[in-house]
Amino acid sequence: MKPPMPSLFLKIFLWFWTTAIVTGIALIVTFILGPGRVPSQWHSTLTDTARSSGMIALAELERGGASAASSYIESLERDTQLRACLFDMKGDAIAGKGCGTFNDLRSHAGTSRSPAFAVKYGLVRVALVLPGSGGHDYIFATELPAGPRAAFGMDRAAVLLRFAVAFFVSGLICYLLTLYITGPILRLREAAQHLAQGNLGARAASSIERRGDELGALGRDFNAMAARIEELISRQRQLIFDISHELRSPLARLNVALDLAREEKAGDLPFIHMESDLARLDEMIGRLLTIAKLDAAATPVQMSSVDLTVLVRRIAEDAGFEAHGRNVAIHVTAPDDCYALGNAELLQSAIENIVRNAIRYADTATSVDVSLEVDDRSNVLLAIRDHGRGVPEEDLGRIFQPFYRVAEARDRESGGAGLGLAIADRIIQVHRGTIRAENAQPSGLKVIIEMPGHEMSGNIRTQS
Amino acid sequence: MDRVLIIDDDIELCELLAARMSDEGYEIEGVHDGIRGLERALSREHSLVVLDLMLPRMGGLEVLRRVREQSPIPVLILTARGEDVDRILGLEIGADDYLPKPFNPRELIARIRAILRRSVRLATGTHPLIVGDLRLDPAAREARMEGRLLSLTSVEFALLEMLMQHAGRIVTREELTEAVLGRKPGPFDRVVDVHVSNIRKKLGVSEGVERIKAVRGSGYLLVVRAEPR
Repeated sequence: MKPPMPSLFLKIFLWFWTTAIVTGIALIVTFILGPGRVPSQWHSTLTDTARSSGMIALAELERGGASAASSYIESLERDTQLRACLFDMKGDAIAGKGCGTFNDLRSHAGTSRSPAFAVKYGLVRVALVLPGSGGHDYIFATELPAGPRAAFGMDRAAVLLRFAVAFFVSGLICYLLTLYITGPILRLREAAQHLAQGNLGARAASSIERRGDELGALGRDFNAMAARIEELISRQRQLIFDISHELRSPLARLNVALDLAREEKAGDLPFIHMESDLARLDEMIGRLLTIAKLDAAATPVQMSSVDLTVLVRRIAEDAGFEAHGRNVAIHVTAPDDCYALGNAELLQSAIENIVRNAIRYADTATSVDVSLEVDDRSNVLLAIRDHGRGVPEEDLGRIFQPFYRVAEARDRESGGAGLGLAIADRIIQVHRGTIRAENAQPSGLKVIIEMPGHEMSGNIRTQS
Repeated sequence: MDRVLIIDDDIELCELLAARMSDEGYEIEGVHDGIRGLERALSREHSLVVLDLMLPRMGGLEVLRRVREQSPIPVLILTARGEDVDRILGLEIGADDYLPKPFNPRELIARIRAILRRSVRLATGTHPLIVGDLRLDPAAREARMEGRLLSLTSVEFALLEMLMQHAGRIVTREELTEAVLGRKPGPFDRVVDVHVSNIRKKLGVSEGVERIKAVRGSGYLLVVRAEPR
């Protein structure tokens, strides 16, 4: 069902306006209906004022009859905008207009024979008995002006009540309005967060979609956007999957064909080159696919508790051969154990890429220093530092981009290099960590990984 | 001459492999879909099956599952790299080893050779091994627990034999991998662990204790109970 007001603008406008109007009305209503009592310390003054007017009216009556009294009361009303009436003791009006409004007050004063007071429309009304000269008594009732304090009443409780009404009414309306506007925004936000966390099926609730206002349109647009993103990502996943399969089939065949030819030709040099190029091609495709997969968040990564100390030591050991060939030593400093929540295979790949990169660019007869530590906020810090030429300061941020190479430095021997650090960057991001590079003093590159550590309850995990 | 069955939908690859492997003394039969592959794998005409997991008509994992219901024939699976889940599943279902595609043919031949050599060695095995209520007879190729015949694949049989030979002592993962797969374990190579876990499932627990104990960071050992009651 479409709400009658299509526009959020109009809604907000009308809601605010209604708030103002209803609050005003509520105040006026309490003002009118509220019990009007006249403070007793004013009674004598009010009685005196009423009596002096009343005495004149009575004198006019006795001098010139009812018409004289009436003309006096009319002149009074003309001059002061205050109404008055003169009654006899039976309650019949002798002079004045609209005397019915004084009836209650008059009968009250008539029975008690003492002045009666009331407040109505912000005016004090007084009725009192006046003795006439002929032994007849009359009742004079009149309105008298009262100060603003009288209009509000002197009673603190009454003042508080009026404020409370104003607060309550405006508060309630504004609360409803806020709820009406922010409710869907919060729900939309929730859906956006789910989407950002990788739940591509997240959509805004249909109750938002059905709204006819701007929020409804926003909800529908959000859903259209989410559907589009989901489609694009699923297409990309399919593409990655297809590339993986389609590119590799010919590679697999080439590998066998080459090997076959090589057997016949007994290890000709061109075949050896072709073989190593094929291996490079394969490695590169594998790495590109890794990057694409990590970028697309295509598959949720399985995480478990990983002992980084063991991992780092093993990587150093594996890389030892390569390092030895370049006459580079690898030094590892690490605590006895250091756990992080992650995917061991991915983390190994990330760290290995950085270590091998460091070995490649280290000067001969120097060392690559790998240090692992846990800081006081239980973050894991892993630094890999080489003693090489380093990277120009302005290029430091770009070494994590795919295929980035420091201009002169790279030789073709590096094979899949240009992708190693890019992969490391993606992997560390997946682990909610950060990776950065800085030039060490006096020379060399230092790559620092920072990622959240993982408390491991000291038990030794046995395979089961 | 050993006959090797290759189930892969890449016809050209099968032809090339047939040519390459005939040089090494293997006779290759190539089959290009899952259903036909299953039929041939159960024909008892081959010593080993090379199985691609991505197959038309019937997926490789399903073929493997059905082969394992009836036959202990060694199976080597080919996987596209990165499909870790399929690889582990394949090993759990009972594949002997795996090779990521594209592979170096020499690597494939080496692995096939290692698996076949193990089968041959087992066939000419020696006297029966007895550890507690486990009895393994290499000559007859049977393993029994409490007199009940265990259904083990050839790689599981070889692993259990190795563990029983060294009962009560730790056998490292490296030793196990070399002995049963004829190669060194790669980084994060879980093949032996999956196989051991498969054997454990088949053995069950003995008096609330796992019969095969994992020793973190080194390997496995077959538990020998102090005194049989």
